[in-house]
Amino acid sequence: MDPIPGGDALTELRVVQPLLMLRAARGPWRLQATLDGEGWSMPGGELAPGVWGEGFVDRRHPHTYVHELMLTGADLLGAHDGAAHVSLSAGKGFAPFGTDDPMSRPPLRYPVNHHPAQILERAVTIAGVGTGPVLLEAAVFNGDEPEHPSQWPSWSRFGDSWSARLTVAPMRHLELQASVAEVHSPEHRPGAGPDQDKWSASARWERPGPDRRTYLLLEWAHTVDADGFFDFTSVLAEAELRRGPHRAYARLERTERPEEERLADPFRSLRPHLDDAIVGITRWSVVTAGYGLRLPLGTLGVVAEPLGEVSAGSVVETTGSIFDPVAFYGRDTFWALTLAIRLSRGLEGHRMGRYGVFPRTGPADARHGH
Amino acid sequence: MHRCLPILALIVLACGEDPVAPTGLVVTLSTGDAQTDTVGQPLAPYAVRVTDTSGVPIAGVVATWAVTAGGGSITAASTTDASGIATAVHTLGTTAGAHAARATVGGAAGSPVVFSATAVADAPATLAKVAGDAQTGTAGQQLAATYVVRVRDQFANPVAGATVQWTAAAGTLTAPTTATGSLGTAENRHTLGGAPGPQEVTATVTGLPPVTFTATATLAPTLVATVPVPSNYGLHDTFVRDGLAFLSAWNTGVRIYDVGNGIAGGSAATPQLVGTAVTSASPLSAGSLNAHNAWWFHNPNTGEKKYLFVGQEGPGSVGSSSSGDIHVVDVSDLASPVEVAYYHLDGAGAHNFWMDEQAEVLYAAYYNGGVVALDVSGTLTGNLASRLLARIQPGGSANTYTWGVQHAGGSVYAVDMESGFWQLTFTGSAFTVAGGGNNVPERWGSDLWVHGTHAYTGTWGGISRNGNAGNAVKIWRLGAGGAPTLVDSLVIANISTVSDVEVSADGKLLVFSAEGGLNAGVYVYSLADPEQPVLLGSYAVGTGVHTASLADIGGKRYVFAAKNPGSPALLILDITAFAN
Repeated sequence: MDPIPGGDALTELRVVQPLLMLRAARGPWRLQATLDGEGWSMPGGELAPGVWGEGFVDRRHPHTYVHELMLTGADLLGAHDGAAHVSLSAGKGFAPFGTDDPMSRPPLRYPVNHHPAQILERAVTIAGVGTGPVLLEAAVFNGDEPEHPSQWPSWSRFGDSWSARLTVAPMRHLELQASVAEVHSPEHRPGAGPDQDKWSASARWERPGPDRRTYLLLEWAHTVDADGFFDFTSVLAEAELRRGPHRAYARLERTERPEEERLADPFRSLRPHLDDAIVGITRWSVVTAGYGLRLPLGTLGVVAEPLGEVSAGSVVETTGSIFDPVAFYGRDTFWALTLAIRLSRGLEGHRMGRYGVFPRTGPADARHGH
Repeated sequence: MHRCLPILALIVLACGEDPVAPTGLVVTLSTGDAQTDTVGQPLAPYAVRVTDTSGVPIAGVVATWAVTAGGGSITAASTTDASGIATAVHTLGTTAGAHAARATVGGAAGSPVVFSATAVADAPATLAKVAGDAQTGTAGQQLAATYVVRVRDQFANPVAGATVQWTAAAGTLTAPTTATGSLGTAENRHTLGGAPGPQEVTATVTGLPPVTFTATATLAPTLVATVPVPSNYGLHDTFVRDGLAFLSAWNTGVRIYDVGNGIAGGSAATPQLVGTAVTSASPLSAGSLNAHNAWWFHNPNTGEKKYLFVGQEGPGSVGSSSSGDIHVVDVSDLASPVEVAYYHLDGAGAHNFWMDEQAEVLYAAYYNGGVVALDVSGTLTGNLASRLLARIQPGGSANTYTWGVQHAGGSVYAVDMESGFWQLTFTGSAFTVAGGGNNVPERWGSDLWVHGTHAYTGTWGGISRNGNAGNAVKIWRLGAGGAPTLVDSLVIANISTVSDVEVSADGKLLVFSAEGGLNAGVYVYSLADPEQPVLLGSYAVGTGVHTASLADIGGKRYVFAAKNPGSPALLILDITAFAN
């Protein structure tokens, strides 16, 4: 990654996204658990341009060791609701808002907008109703974001925030999504911080197959903070084309994020907050492209995928505040190169952050829900 | 085979053997081994004895000599006399320690003969400090590290056994004299005297210039009370007057404590809650009181102590935007304060206040809005928009983000995060720039305090400026007309922000709070020389202190320190001893 704060380049060798996932089902009940070892394997944060949340720049909201622990009762009413499906989910996981977690999407490194575009690792209760190509989900959860890997949600704040997501599959392979959320004091765990109003809309085209896959995602996410005093917009497009063992993908992103007061260590921001001020808003324009070669290993279903991914882009401050990317990073353009081997087993078709039921005409490999 | 013989002879020569190689000789060490003397000095002669195998001395045999360790010089060669004795003089090198030389008699059994010697350092020539200088410690307590000096000779060899005499101008030492060891070092330990300030210790070796260690003795503020506040961001500022402390505790509102007033039986050691001023959240969202600072107005013209002005610090982007109003609370009944008026400035938010109480004018720093002057005479009610007297953005619209303001000496002083320290003139209806400005380009500005002919401003380091943290206090001399000239800076290691600055009413002490580093906390300096403040003491708070307000109550002097979250609290520190 070049540059990092201070103007230097940084090269790291890390185990990224070490995940252990458990999925179990009995009757209508489904358990989904994901353990995430990033707090151990990359304690300094994700070395990727501009990432807000997991980013090495501020390490603001690291993924927690228990990433998901959700129990779902799917189609609880059986035939009593006719063609509809009703599901209830509870536990620690994703609120129904926005798109799938980036860990289950084609690029390896996180986009800048991970936290603006998803609401993750909350104590959440979700009700979902699906009928035909339409799914409506609504949830209540705690607003606080975790601040270190071993932290659990603030249980006393459960219910202070809500979200709702409407998913429609108007035709085969196409899925449209629109979400809204009101999140109370996400940046101040005791609850004294400003609220956020969030919106998301996306279109997802996926044509799956055993040796061929075509995938396209268009996403818009908008967060209004502190009664409109700050607002952050993200637009993102990503695509993947898979033919046999070859996989090529790309992502275009333009995301605004807050810049915060730093400690003496420029990689860390002040926690907890003292006030509602920020030092500026930056807009990150990032182009990412990658190629992977998927190689099955043995007969256990393990896939090894050597991949290379390159990102490049620019950053600007948008509000006229005192934050100057050139002063902070040494320049306002950057690039990053990732060479990796991804090892996975049983991850195919997984859509992290989706529980309960899916629209019936949604992608075949995801229709079972999780 | 015959052709090979000359070649073999050459090889033997190249190996350094004597041209004459008598056989049946024996060489032994006679005298001179294991001597000790000063570096650079000649030793008593070395002697070897050469005999035949039956012990009969052999004359005329050449012995060659060489220094093999330690340097110096030695007689190159000598010939045995009738007693079979050959001698050489070894002059030691200039490096203390082990020396060695050898005598070689070609072909003789026992050759070479090795002589060893020890060179000791010459007389002391230099005395130097090695460690322990410039420490800071609590007055009356032993310093953490020892003082160490080293004595060397003219060749820089450590001198062992030298006597070092120690003298403390204040405090005590472990011993009045100590001797240097094998490394030439001598140590002592200083227990500081009871007075704060610099304390010197002198180390002397007879005949050499002395060296002086200077330690700074500080006093330890005494924590007399801790008043927790709810974790609604915590406590920002504390205004203390007439034995009442007004704690601006963000969404909790302004908590009023009796800290010596007597109305609720409180004292600095046992603060008693009197009431809470819960101001309106407007123009922010419900619950966002964001109470940041307060000023209890004592009107000298009417004798009223009716109004409390509360600054509301809303969301902002440093350098470009801010929000929050001034809320006016009627505190006639301190147990039941009631908001009666407010002032709103579009596009900007309130920060720190000052009042010209005689003129009944409130000055407010307004971040990107600059400095505001409000008429607060008479009865205050409702929207005070019509009370605006004047406003100025001292750095211009694009270079103004004003942190604090103070009325002093007939001028209004403002410190701006972007454009530095300003002197303003207020005519009653307008501000004009009288002096200063654009004078701290390397750091972001923070708080200010003006006292007499000098002023002190802090610096903020939420993000570095030109690579600098906000770890400095700027010292200003005010000219005859009040215009500031920068004369010096205090730079504090391992902090990122000086967040609040105040000078005691008697001008003796400078107090400031520090955040964002290992040395965060409260600092107290002597202003005996207002341009050269001397550290008197500090109180460390790991999470930092956002503000530090001075108050004299009941004959004692206290610092009211706002401890930052995680466990926000008001810390009341007794610094009475600092003023003596």
